Amino acid sequence: MSICTLTLLVVLFLDLLCWVWVAARGIRRRSWKALGHTAAYHGLGAATIMMVLPFYWMVATSLKDFESANRPVPTWLPLGTKYFAPPPPAKPEEVSTPRPGAISAAANRSAGPRGSAAQGPTAAREIEVGLIRAGNLTWSEIRRKDSVVVAPVKRLQDQSAYYTAKGSDIRRERRPQWRNYVEAWNAPAKGNPENPVTFTRYFWVSGVTSLLTTLGTLITSILAAYAFAKMRFRGRNLLFYLVLATMMVPGQVLLIPNFLILSALPDYSFGLRWLDNYPALVVPWLASVFGIFMLRQFFRGIPDELWDAAQIDGAGRFRYLWQVMLPLSKPAVITLALFAFLGEWNSLLWPLIVTTSPDMRTLMVGLQTFNEEMSGNSHLLMAAATIAVLPVVLLFFALQRFFVAGLSRTGFK
Amino acid sequence: MSRIGSSHKPRNFKRNLEAYAYLAPAGIILLVFWCAPAVFSVFVSFTNWHGGDALADVKWVGLENYRMAFRDQRFFKTLWNTVNYVIWSVPLTLILSLSVALLLTLKIRGMALFRTAFFLPYVTTWVAVSILWSYIFQQNFGLANCFLEFLDKHLHLGVGPLKWLNEPRGVIEMAATWMGQRLGLLSGDQIVDFKHPLLEGPSLAMFSIIITSVWRDTGYFMLIFIAGLNEIDPTYYEAAEIDGAGPWTRFRHITLPLLSPVTFFLLVVAMIGAFKVYVPMMIMTPGGGPSGTTSTLVYFLYEEGFMSWRLGYASAIAYVLFVIILAMTLLQNKVIGGKVHYE
Repeated sequence: MSICTLTLLVVLFLDLLCWVWVAARGIRRRSWKALGHTAAYHGLGAATIMMVLPFYWMVATSLKDFESANRPVPTWLPLGTKYFAPPPPAKPEEVSTPRPGAISAAANRSAGPRGSAAQGPTAAREIEVGLIRAGNLTWSEIRRKDSVVVAPVKRLQDQSAYYTAKGSDIRRERRPQWRNYVEAWNAPAKGNPENPVTFTRYFWVSGVTSLLTTLGTLITSILAAYAFAKMRFRGRNLLFYLVLATMMVPGQVLLIPNFLILSALPDYSFGLRWLDNYPALVVPWLASVFGIFMLRQFFRGIPDELWDAAQIDGAGRFRYLWQVMLPLSKPAVITLALFAFLGEWNSLLWPLIVTTSPDMRTLMVGLQTFNEEMSGNSHLLMAAATIAVLPVVLLFFALQRFFVAGLSRTGFK
Repeated sequence: MSRIGSSHKPRNFKRNLEAYAYLAPAGIILLVFWCAPAVFSVFVSFTNWHGGDALADVKWVGLENYRMAFRDQRFFKTLWNTVNYVIWSVPLTLILSLSVALLLTLKIRGMALFRTAFFLPYVTTWVAVSILWSYIFQQNFGLANCFLEFLDKHLHLGVGPLKWLNEPRGVIEMAATWMGQRLGLLSGDQIVDFKHPLLEGPSLAMFSIIITSVWRDTGYFMLIFIAGLNEIDPTYYEAAEIDGAGPWTRFRHITLPLLSPVTFFLLVVAMIGAFKVYVPMMIMTPGGGPSGTTSTLVYFLYEEGFMSWRLGYASAIAYVLFVIILAMTLLQNKVIGGKVHYE
């Protein structure tokens, strides 16, 4: 019985005890509320596991090595593959780089008698690599091979086998492979040596564009929302309906014309290079219809008496907006900032269209290309995904209150 | 009187000017990058604009692009894929999130923790989520197949390992095949084949993506449902309890009607969002998926516009998408909006 099964049984037993206790108490007090709550906890607990498990799987895989990440039977712990201390290889020429697709030859060799233990490790490596690379095998075929071929491989490993990773002398051990993160971070540079971008660059581009967009969106939305909420002018309703109508147009309709407009701009018009540069990523998103709408609703809730009082104190409109309105509407402003930032940070299609050079990839585009280039290296992919997810998750935990408030606000009004 | 009137005008003018100055920054951006392109897009959709063409080569073709779209088999396939995605993912997400929200509004301890756990997938980015789930659905060593294997071993359900993201067969068809085999109506390798896309359901590849999107979006809908549930006056429940109404009656006759504005809002938001989906398809099943069963409208638009560079045709597709979304919003407002209970 494995340790996992044992833990599971113990947990289930404790759970059963809990049920019995709650039920007994319920019978004594003639109240079934606690029993209902226990059931609710179980439903929620099961659902929570389903929600969190993929995250655990992502982080765990990011700490495995290639072999344990691509095992037909998944390993639950974030560890590398186990290999023992090396006896020196009997024949140095046997330690050759594995040839993918050499399954049958390798299998024949290692399925032989135990005498083949000296050449075993290389053969083992070949089999595993061969199996994994043979992506067109079905699950059951792999399973069949697993019983026939991989079983002796495991035995060989246990007989203190010697392992060299692709001919180099790095010895993998059964511990979390933190270096995956370094490897994933620097991996994009390997593809093109003349222009070595890494995740540092992706983060920089994403950070700059997101911050600029957020700042711009805040300024334009606050000004416009203030005008719509508190000023009386000719054509106010008409303009506001126009803004609302803009909200109906899906962003996908704008992709092509915006791209055409930007590509028709000659280089250095308005003193800027547009396509494949920051302006193309930032400028079209400097205004937010949703932001104007939300802030207007919030501003309208602020009583006009404050404006009268400010006028008596000699404040102008701008000063009133800056010193009275904004501090009062901090939650709404922070919510808008959050949404603007995340919208830009998470956008994929627009950056994909307007940027071509690796230099100008945002994090999302970088991650997408990384996924294409690295397919198969699940441990590195998961490390990169973790890297990309982490800042947003941290942001969420820091500003959780505003997230919830903001979402509820989008839900009503 | 006339003097007051004349002194009024310049001030009005000044006031208008000030307001327009406040509106100008947002207005210019919206005009240049939203309104003008929306109009320009109509023009592009009436031309045969091709990626690298000089402006002189661009020809007016009238409605040809739209006519082409309605003759294009691929267009209808992507449209059907998108509709499939919408009609499966939206109800699943809404039902799941409503059940979780109902559980979370019981006054129980540790609610904040559960809420955070459910909401966490929503803050993670679609790109990372897609990479993660394509690893989970990997057919040789993914977690999904491991889970199925575990179930099969202990419960003998007869659901073998599946091909998930590489499976073009429809889920309804597969479920029917499985039922047939369990009931002994079909022999070992016989399969049900409806031979009609309406009955097949989304392909298993699409269904995998639907599972992913349900996993990601449940938290968002749950949060808004919770906010809606908290708005309901507790005195209704107290009165109903005194009258002897059970939990189901209370849910059916108090919660559901009073929650209907929120549900309706979420339905519209979810459907519009689902019609615009493309990131998971792009990353989990590159190139349209098995037999093109996961290519959606926006993905098709991207392929046509920015890979084949048929910008005119792509603009036409974008407009069809726009019209669909608009029509759906209006239709929902008319059909369901009348039945929604507002306090």
